[in-house]
Parts: sequence; structure tokens; C-alpha cells
Amino acid sequence: MKALDLKLVRDLWRMRGQALAIAVVLAAASATFILSMGVHNSLKITRDAYYAQNHFADVFAHMVRAPRSTLDRVRQIDGVQQAQGSIQQYAILDYPERTEAVRALLQSVDEHGRDQLNLVYLKEGRMPAAGQPGEVVVDEAFAMANETGPGYEVDAIIYGNRQRLQIVGIGLAPNYVNALAPGDIIPDDTRFGVFWMGEEALEAATDRTEAINTISVSLQHGASEEDVIRAINAILEPYGGTGAYGRSDHPSHAFLESELDQLEAMVQIIPPVFLVVSTFLVYIVLGRMIRTQRSLIGLLKAFGYSDAAIAWHYLKFALAIALIAMALGSLAGIWMGRSMTELYGRYYHFPFLRFSFAPVVFIGAGALAMLSAALGAITGVWAAARLTPAVAMSPPPPPVYRAGAVERIGERAGFTAIGHMIVRHIARWPGRSAITVGGVALAVGLLFATLQFIDSSHFMLDTYFQRAQRHNLSVTFTEPRNEDALYQLAQIPGVLRVEPQQALAVEMSNGNRHERTALEGTAPDAQLTARIDQKGALIDMPPAGLMLSRQLATQLDVHPGDSVHIKMLGGRHAETVLPVGALVDEFIGARAYAAPATLGSLARDGAPVSSALLLVDPAARDNILKELKSMPLVLSISDRDFEMARFRSMIDGNINTMIIFYIGFASAIAVGVVYNSARILFSERAHELATLRVLGYHSREVAIVLIGEIALLVTFAVPTGLLVGHWLAKLMLLMFSSDLFRLPFAPTNAAYANAALVVLAAAAVTGLVVARRVMGLDMVRVLKARD
Amino acid sequence: MIFNQDICVGPVACARGYDSTMQAATQTSQPDGDERAFSGRELFKTYITGETQVHALRGVDFDIRKGEVLVLLGPSGSGKSTFLNIVGGLDRSTSGTLYYAAENLTAKSDRDLTRFRRQRIGFIFQFYNLIPSLTAEENVRLVTDIASNPMDPAEALHHVGLAERRHHFPAQLSGGEQQRVAVARAIAKRPGVLLCDEPTGALDSSTGIRVLEALEAANRELDTTLLIITHNAGIAAMADRVFHFLDGQIARIETNAERIAPAEMTW
Repeated sequence: MKALDLKLVRDLWRMRGQALAIAVVLAAASATFILSMGVHNSLKITRDAYYAQNHFADVFAHMVRAPRSTLDRVRQIDGVQQAQGSIQQYAILDYPERTEAVRALLQSVDEHGRDQLNLVYLKEGRMPAAGQPGEVVVDEAFAMANETGPGYEVDAIIYGNRQRLQIVGIGLAPNYVNALAPGDIIPDDTRFGVFWMGEEALEAATDRTEAINTISVSLQHGASEEDVIRAINAILEPYGGTGAYGRSDHPSHAFLESELDQLEAMVQIIPPVFLVVSTFLVYIVLGRMIRTQRSLIGLLKAFGYSDAAIAWHYLKFALAIALIAMALGSLAGIWMGRSMTELYGRYYHFPFLRFSFAPVVFIGAGALAMLSAALGAITGVWAAARLTPAVAMSPPPPPVYRAGAVERIGERAGFTAIGHMIVRHIARWPGRSAITVGGVALAVGLLFATLQFIDSSHFMLDTYFQRAQRHNLSVTFTEPRNEDALYQLAQIPGVLRVEPQQALAVEMSNGNRHERTALEGTAPDAQLTARIDQKGALIDMPPAGLMLSRQLATQLDVHPGDSVHIKMLGGRHAETVLPVGALVDEFIGARAYAAPATLGSLARDGAPVSSALLLVDPAARDNILKELKSMPLVLSISDRDFEMARFRSMIDGNINTMIIFYIGFASAIAVGVVYNSARILFSERAHELATLRVLGYHSREVAIVLIGEIALLVTFAVPTGLLVGHWLAKLMLLMFSSDLFRLPFAPTNAAYANAALVVLAAAAVTGLVVARRVMGLDMVRVLKARD
Repeated sequence: MIFNQDICVGPVACARGYDSTMQAATQTSQPDGDERAFSGRELFKTYITGETQVHALRGVDFDIRKGEVLVLLGPSGSGKSTFLNIVGGLDRSTSGTLYYAAENLTAKSDRDLTRFRRQRIGFIFQFYNLIPSLTAEENVRLVTDIASNPMDPAEALHHVGLAERRHHFPAQLSGGEQQRVAVARAIAKRPGVLLCDEPTGALDSSTGIRVLEALEAANRELDTTLLIITHNAGIAAMADRVFHFLDGQIARIETNAERIAPAEMTW
């Protein structure tokens, strides 16, 4: 090894604490980059492979009932490769010992194995056999949540008839990666599952011989999805078609897509924060090192080393740190990435997981780390290269201090001499002080932006469940009913109020923007639902026209006063143009509301009631549930409080894992910044500190010079960080919001306080570690070092 | 320059035979017990660095009178600085006893030694050791902030002739001025002892003399005991006594019949 490289190794070892502190921050950048990119790629590749292997369809359509022969017409549409018809039917599962209703979506499969699309991936057992009407394959999540599987039996109410189902297999399918029960906003595997049942058996059970209610289509390469959808809609219109849609509108696919988008958003926000901090850390540490090695640089140049050789020597110091960071970050990234992918895999029910930590991800992470370190090193390296030997070997000019504005404030504030030392040193090195403040501020900001996700989601839930919904139970009917059904519900003892929920499936358009949504009826005298704005105030339903959620208005690019073209999906496919009367800030879904009269005039034959909201006497709740369970018209019952508690625990569970990571990340930044600042401060001021000890200052009093400066900078950093966090949080919320939900910015004081406290604690511990060195300062040695 | 006869015949005699060989000298030049500033017996100091041992002091015995001016001469590595550090409470002897008046310095904790420095000792170094971020007056305040009966910082600067420059930062002062600020900082606490390690080492002759005048004035006006390490034998003329160090011992002690004022000295 060349002597200069030996020096590099020894310099790294001597400054191992500082080098490691930078490496950890840089490693966090690499790790989060590898984690996000790795998980994103793994999920995407897994999903694509799953879709390809199991032939996930491209276009989907639902209708009330169509003859199977309709498929032949669909197959003849230009661009259609394959078309497959099936029956989907909700059923109630009868678990007598359970008070809550358990439901299944029965999905038909060809008993002879002739299905071509949305193939079931069998995890266990076998597919339903021909001539065995009760055999079903259950989805894996349901089987796991209910501890059931092949060999078990369950009674189901299908189409009003009781039928015993034998479970013969456990499976998964690409169209149910994420399966939601009607009326639910998050999956509940204990109370809802997908059951694949033989086609002939389901035809018989639902009285749909040679009839279907669902069509899945795969497209030829290069075919226009839009054209195919238009053609399918034309064919299915007479059969109560509700409008075909592509993958992007498929609920399972859209949910997965929004998760992938969030991972992409994470790559764009989190690693850059760490990269910026590491760049600045390299800048201050290498800058200081080059200043202290000034005469050595002169000597080396006097020996004949070129400017380029010296520059390369110091650049290698920065790159060596980046190399260590790459190693640490790659290991951490793979470990975190694998556990995250597995977590997603379980949540989304993939049959297999393809981990893809492609070399290009590591190369990307490494290149970013190298670039960030090199960028931080540039100024110092340039200064080292430019030093002439004669200048380098003479002592550097003493630092010039001036009594500036800070000084005058200090005079008035009655600073002690130590106070002046602290304040003037900060003012003398404004760049470095700013880096310390900025670094710690980013740590506070990042942590705040993460912590506020809890408040944001709680606020979203609170608004959705508590303030907008005033019922206890919501009941979904097996099929849309007229308002008579409500009387049956109102008769149940203990039911205090019943309100209908009417909805029409529509497509809203503005120019070339189209959105499929449900147009929900909101009666003026409704008491069990309320539309409230972001501040929690009630918004009155405009007497005519529409009220749109802000999300939907943005998607359609409309404002109050604009008009929206509405086309009913299904029914008589009526079309109309309605003005936008008001916007409402809702956080879940992109929804539209209209007065019942508006819905009535659109549907003409009366808008169907798909579900009802109930306000019940809590004392009678169990009896009411029992009664509802036995009613054939009831498909499902949602308990608002239970739903909310489940949602909350799911969000808390997910966010808590994330928060533990981020507390670690923020602490790493705070420790890295404070440790390096304190070490530089200590090495710069060791001589002064020793002088103070000689003059009779106790070690604790001397430590104040160091602790005081760090504390002052951190004190500036905390409010700055909360401001940065404020901005970062809004950006992250925006990037994490999807068509499915929008996260509000609603931080509590605890989020501010906890972000500040965690970082303050990390800074304090680090400061004290360095302060211990001050306490153990060998005065004589330090003073001799200069003399 | 007038010196008394050498009282040590050699390092061994001086170190080991203090009671007998030096008896005559101490009878004439040593103070009464209650006027004694320092009294050291059998002081050893050994530094251990890795596998090597450096014997910086090898059994030093001495007594220093209150108000005395003492110059310590000797080649580099002879033990002068170690001696000064131990006397000033910056370091501890490996063995032996050291008293300041009635205080046993060898028995003191770090904390008590700090308190001792804070109350009794003023230090002046070759390279001034001023805090660059503090003005002249604030550098003095560093000491007056923690001393029990200090001078006003302005008064201390006036003593060294720098009242006008009190708002200047070290970088705005010449070397001589900086050293005078260091003197002002050292005397501002009204110390019992001023310990100076090469106070003129970095200065030209005329500037050095101004600094020595400031030190001499502190000795005269405040009755401060003055210990000056120097390589400059010319400075020995301003001392009451001169300790010659060699190989970690006081090889000989000279006593000056009369002290010469710094202004009269040349080198």
C-alpha cells in the first residue's frame, strides 16, 4: 500500500467516530432507496408475474343477467383476445355461534377446467368437481382468518336458499389480490371471503342457467381498451350492464397501484433528505480535516506530490465513507426490504413473492451515496489542491472575530465571557452553524412528517366515522330494494331510526375526463349522515345540482357553477347534465351526492335503496343483530364502532412499524450532525478549553462552552425543523393520497412535541458523550500541542 | 550581574543532600516558615508513554519565599515546565510532597486543584493563550468572573498599559500587547503566584522588556511570587534566585545580591 493510502486508512481509523456517524446517515439514504425501490420492484414483478401466470383480464363488465351466448358477440369485438363469462353472487355464511354476519362472494369457475382468465392459484386441495354442487375453494386469507380449509363445511344462504358448502381447496386469484366486502372500506378477512364454486352448481343455486352476470376480457396486443369498452357497453346495455372498465378501475388492481405509487413517492422524498444531510456532514468534516492538515499538505507538495494527487487523496476519504455507507445501507436495505415485501405479500395475498433487488438498484444507491459524498468533498478538496506549499507550511492566519450585531445584543443581555465565546463562535462560522441547524432541523422535520401520519389518519377516521356518520349499524341488502324494505327494519324493537342509502352507478364526464362513481342520495332531513367540510362545519346539500367531494372535482377539473355530464351505468342508461352546487372536503373516496329528487328523476322508476342506516338503542344491539342476521334481504351488517376500531388498529399497526423506523432514521441524522459538529467544535476549541481549565474553570464549566453552542444551535433547529416538517408533511400527504383516500393535515400538539423531544434527546445524549471528552481534557498535553 | 556563590556542587548533591550541603544557603536565603509560598520535598514525576518511562523530575527539593522572583533556567527537557505545571496545580507529582503555604497540594483532588488555580495562581504562556473570540477586556473578565476578590478588568489592563486597547480582539493586537493582556488576565485575580512559561519567548527584546516590566510591577505592587521559565539567561538578573535545571533536578541555585530592573536589561 502506498504511504499516502496508509495515511488515508489511519485518518479514517482516527476519525472513525465521525466517519461512522456520516456513514450511518448516508447508509440510511441507501437503505431507504434500496428498500423503497426493492419493495416497489419486487411487488411490481410479483404482481406482473402473478397476473401473467394466472391470466388476469384487461377489461371487466358486470350486468344484471345476460345469456351466455352474449360472450360470442363480445369475442367478435375488434381487439378482444379472450372473453370469459361467470357468475358472481353474494351469500351469507351461517356461523350460528357468531353474532356478526359473515359473507362470501361466490365466484363461478368452470368445473371442467376450461377457464382462460383470472385463473385460481390453488394453494391447497383441489378445484370443485363437476357434479358436486356444494364444493368450494375458499380464499387463503379467509381460510387463515377463520382457521378453516379442506374438509370443513359451512351452511350458506344463497339467493334465499340454504345450501351446505364443502371446502375442498384453498386458493388465490389475481382479481382478488385485495378483496373488499360491499360497504366496507378495508378488508376484513374474518367476516368476508371469496369462494370459488362450480359454474353449473352456481347457475343452479342462483337460477341462472346458461346466464352470466360478469364478463372478463383480455385484449390483443395494441388493441384500444377504450374502443373495446365502448363496444362491450353497447352489447351489454339491454342486459343491465353497468359499464365495462379497464384494470385501472378494477378495485383490487387500483388498491395495489396506489400502494406502489406510495412506495414511489417514498423514494422521491426520504432518501434525498438523508443525502442532503450527508453531503453537508462530509463538507464540514472534510473541510475541518483539511484545515488541520494544512502544513502536512504543504509538506507533501514540497516533496513533489501533485495538486491532483492531493485532491484525489482527500476525495478518497469521502468516497471511502460512501463505500462503508453502501455496505451498511445495502445490508439494511435488503433486510428491511425483505421484511416489508413479506408484509405486503401477506396483506395482498400473492401466491408467491419474487424478491427483486436488482443490481441496478444497488448501483443506483451506490452512485447516489458516492455523488453525495463527492459533492460534500468538493470545496475542501479544491482548497487542498489550490494551496501552494509555501503558504500551506506557514501557520494559517488567526480567525478574525468582530463584535457585530450579535455582540451588541450580547452586551445588552449581559452575557458572561463564556456567553460571548459561544455566540461569537457561531457568528464566526455561520455556514457550519447553519449546517448544524439545518441537519437537526431536517431530523425534526422528517420525524414530525412521519408522526403526523397518525394524527392525519385518526382525523380522517374521526371525520368519516364520528362526524359524518351518526348511525350505529349499516345494513346492505342482497339486492337493491324499494323503500318498503325500510319498514321491515324499522319494526325491529330497539331500532330508533332508519334512513335509506340510495345510490346510482354513474359515469361523470367533463370534456375528455371521465370518472365512474356512485351518485348517492342525501335527503334534506337526513339525520344519520352529514356532509362536513374540512373544519368540521356542516355543508347544506344544494337543492338542485350536485355536491362533489373535492377529490372528484379535482379529477374532473370542475368547480362550483360548472356543469357535469352524467350517464347512468345500468338501468335505462339515462344521460343528463347537472350543475356542481357545492364541494365537500371528504377524505375517503371520490364521491358525489345529489338530492333524492335528482336521483329519482334520473332513474325515473325510483332510485333503488341499496343499503340502510340504523340508529339503535345500544341495549338492544345484540337482539337487533340476531334479528337482522335472520332476514333474507340483509346481505351484510357493518357496526360503525367496530369498523372504526378495526380501521384504527390496522392503521396504527402499519404506521407504528414505520414510526419505529423513522425514529431510528431521525435519531441517526441528529446523532450524525450533533456528533460531528461537537467533535469539530471540540478539536477547534480544545486549546481554548484547556486554557480555561488552566485559568481555574472546573471541567463542568468548561464543558458549557461546547454544550452551550450545541444547545443554542439545536434550540434554533427545533422550531426551524417543525416549520420544515410542516412543509414536508404536506408534501408527503399529497404524495401519499390516492384516488381512494386523501390524508388531511391535522397534526396534534403531541406530534410537534414528540418530534422535538426525540431529536432533543438524541442530540443531548450525543452532546454529553462529546462533553465527557472535555471533562477528561489533558490540559498540559493540549497546551503543549501548540507550544 | 552579581550572583552569590553556587550553592550546589552537582545535581546529585543538590537533590539528595539538601539538608546538609544546602543548609548554609537556606539559612541565608530561605524565608521564615510563615513567609513560605512553596515547599517541595523529594518530588518525582515519571511519564509513562507506551513502553517507555520518562523521568521528568527526579527528586526535587525546594522552598520558595512569598514575594520572591524566581527564574528557572535549563535546557529543553530538563524538567522546568513539569516543575512549573506541578507547582501550578496543572499536574501532580508521582511522589513527594508539595505545600503551598499550609496547603498540601499533593493530597488535593482535581476539583480542589482547580479551586487552587482559580484562587491562587496566574499563568502566562509563551503563546499568550488568549481566547480569540473575546476582546482584551473580556479575556480578563474570564478570570474576574470566577475569582473571589478580583480587580476590575479595566484596572488590570491599566496596570499593563493597555487601557486604551481593551475593546480589541487578540487578532487586532501585536504579540507584545497580547502577552500584556495575558499578564493583565493573570494578575486580575490578585494571585499569590504568577507562573510564566517563556513569557518573552515569542517577542523581540524591547517588547519582551515591557512584558517583564509588567510582571515585575505585579510582584512589587501586589507582592506576588513570580516564577519565570526562560531560555534567556539575561532575564535571570531580575530574579532574587535562579534555579538551574538539569536532567530533572535542580542542579544549582544562584542567589542574586540585588535584582536588576527589566528596563536596565539587554539581550
